[in-house]
Amino acid sequence: MSLLTLRRNFFNVHVITTTKIYRENCLNEAKTEGKSELIPSIKFRHSCLLRNQRCIAAYLYDRLLRIRALRWEYGSVLPTTIRFHMCAEEMEWFNQYKKSLATYMRSIGGEEGLDITQDMKPPKSLYIEVRCLKDHGEFEIDDGTVILLKKNSQHFLPRWKCEQLIRQGVLEHVIS
Amino acid sequence: MFVTDIRKEFYDVVVNQRVALFVSPDIDALCACKVLQALFHCDQVQYTLVPVAGWQDLGTAFMEHKEQYQYFVLINCGANVDLLETLQPEEDSVFFICDTHRPVDVVNVYNDTQIKLLIKQDDDLGVPSYDDIFRDDEEDEEGDGDDSGNESDGSAEPSGKRRRYDEDALERRIERQRARREWEARRREILFDYEQYEFHGTSAALVMFELAWVMSKDTKDMLWWSVIGVTDQWVHDKIPHMKYVTDIATLQRHVSRHNHRNEDEENSLSIDCMRITFEYDLRLVLYQHWSLYESICNSCYTSCSFKLWSINGQKKLQEFLADMGLPLKQVRQKFNSMDMSIKENLREVIEESANKFSMKDIRVQTFAVNFGFKNRFLASDVVHAAAALLENVEKDEMPTDNFIKALDCLSRSNLERLHLGIDLAKKKLKAIQQTVASCICTNLILSQGPFLYCHLLEGTPDVKLFSKPLALTLLCKYLLKFSCVCVFCFIRSFFGRAFEKAAESTSSRTLHDHFDTSVIELKMEDRGKFLDALITLLS
Repeated sequence: MSLLTLRRNFFNVHVITTTKIYRENCLNEAKTEGKSELIPSIKFRHSCLLRNQRCIAAYLYDRLLRIRALRWEYGSVLPTTIRFHMCAEEMEWFNQYKKSLATYMRSIGGEEGLDITQDMKPPKSLYIEVRCLKDHGEFEIDDGTVILLKKNSQHFLPRWKCEQLIRQGVLEHVIS
Repeated sequence: MFVTDIRKEFYDVVVNQRVALFVSPDIDALCACKVLQALFHCDQVQYTLVPVAGWQDLGTAFMEHKEQYQYFVLINCGANVDLLETLQPEEDSVFFICDTHRPVDVVNVYNDTQIKLLIKQDDDLGVPSYDDIFRDDEEDEEGDGDDSGNESDGSAEPSGKRRRYDEDALERRIERQRARREWEARRREILFDYEQYEFHGTSAALVMFELAWVMSKDTKDMLWWSVIGVTDQWVHDKIPHMKYVTDIATLQRHVSRHNHRNEDEENSLSIDCMRITFEYDLRLVLYQHWSLYESICNSCYTSCSFKLWSINGQKKLQEFLADMGLPLKQVRQKFNSMDMSIKENLREVIEESANKFSMKDIRVQTFAVNFGFKNRFLASDVVHAAAALLENVEKDEMPTDNFIKALDCLSRSNLERLHLGIDLAKKKLKAIQQTVASCICTNLILSQGPFLYCHLLEGTPDVKLFSKPLALTLLCKYLLKFSCVCVFCFIRSFFGRAFEKAAESTSSRTLHDHFDTSVIELKMEDRGKFLDALITLLS
């Protein structure tokens, strides 16, 4: 899911055109009082304004949906390249979304809560075979044991521990 | 120590632990590794697989992993050297070694705690008995102590008696020292005889497959991998033909057991399922993926029998083809596009004609695998493809990258990789053929007394290819066959020890890094004196 920089200048232009159109409408309205010749042009300009507003709303909403998907794909910390493309308000929205998702996850599944962002597809096995694509150094798994991830070594590890690293591109799932 | 019940003493021990696997770069090791991985997946044994190309790699890998792992499995490395001395592990590290290199180092055999050898004991191992090589030094010290004790006791006695005691004590000590020297001389002789020749034992893949069979967890994939492992030993001449035939017979029993299980009149297998069949097929390398003509020209057996580098040889080949009634146009086509009428009885026709040209064993027992309509591979095809991938020098990649690629090509889901391997193997075989032809034509092979010596110059095409051990071994066997030296002698090779001694005596700078001690690296400047030392040593 790619998120490009919010097009600020586009908004500025839009705001300017909107104000222009609106002012013209007001002028025309002031001239009317009783006459109905200018009403179609007022209506026309008004519908232009409404249409522009709809486009912008759709654009912003689509961005929000993509940002929401990022939470599910990358986890709670976004890479800097993506954060660069988001505006402050969007970051604010993202944090709010994170909080409400976390609250929800804590509330289900008993005491510790349930992390529903794991295992998006039903897992076929507890352990998977992974191959190391680059030198990553030492990696600790749940029971405290440390594994050395060196390029081209293969490991058979619990699935939930590997998912993060697979997403980051350090490990590759080997299917044979 | 040798493991008697491989299931109880190896598998049941590691099944609840985390294991480090160190695998050497040869096809048999790769196949054994695949079988073991499949078993580990079945039982969810967490492991880490590290490819090791030589002794240095093994040392480094061990250093890196010794903190985290207690159990180490070494495949096709580590048996022929005193492992504890080389790696200096902690007291609690345990090594399971499944290695075909022989002779097994005596320290490895007699260590009860840390070294477990996953080796079948019906291989003719000839390990010297314990008492012949190890001896408690305490016995001698006690004896001396007794004597001195007697002496001190005797000091209270009158001097006459003391003198007698001294003489007796002295005689006993001299006797003991003489016996000890004799024992040491015999020990040196026994060890020399034992370690003189190097050879290979039963395939590691076969040992692993038998472990799977004992646990009733064997599958057709594992069986196919063990077939490839045994075939690899035969292709690279690591085992004599008789042993190959015996191992094939063992595998044939497993194959018929697997085939019998599923073939039924009501439920016959779908075409896509894997089927392994026993074949008495031609010894022509990759002939079903090439043209028959190319295959005949580039197979060691036929090329040497016809002597295809000479004009006479070429003529003989034409006669051979004519004798079989095969038109040149057909024979130069891709095998799959040849006429059905020719393909039908091809094997029998070739065998008949080959007998006339004194090629008695053009056919050999082997296995083939079928899955789907298009995919049919002989075991030797897969061996050559995997070996070509393993020693691929085309792109400058790390050896571990090649290891991973070769490991992948053994799975059925990676057919493109296997086909790539087959293409690389064709190039490699052509290169070997051309190099051999040029060596013979330009008389580059010199006889240095007890052995033959051939020096490939820097500028020779494809010389990079021969910097890898497997390709080099193939080239050497090829050259040897030409010179009609008895191939059996090469299987038990004394070159490893000879190289070591020659290097020591001339203090040449050598690198004995490869697990196969017949392959070493030597600095160019030291070449002359090294060869001289080798000649004197072996004559």
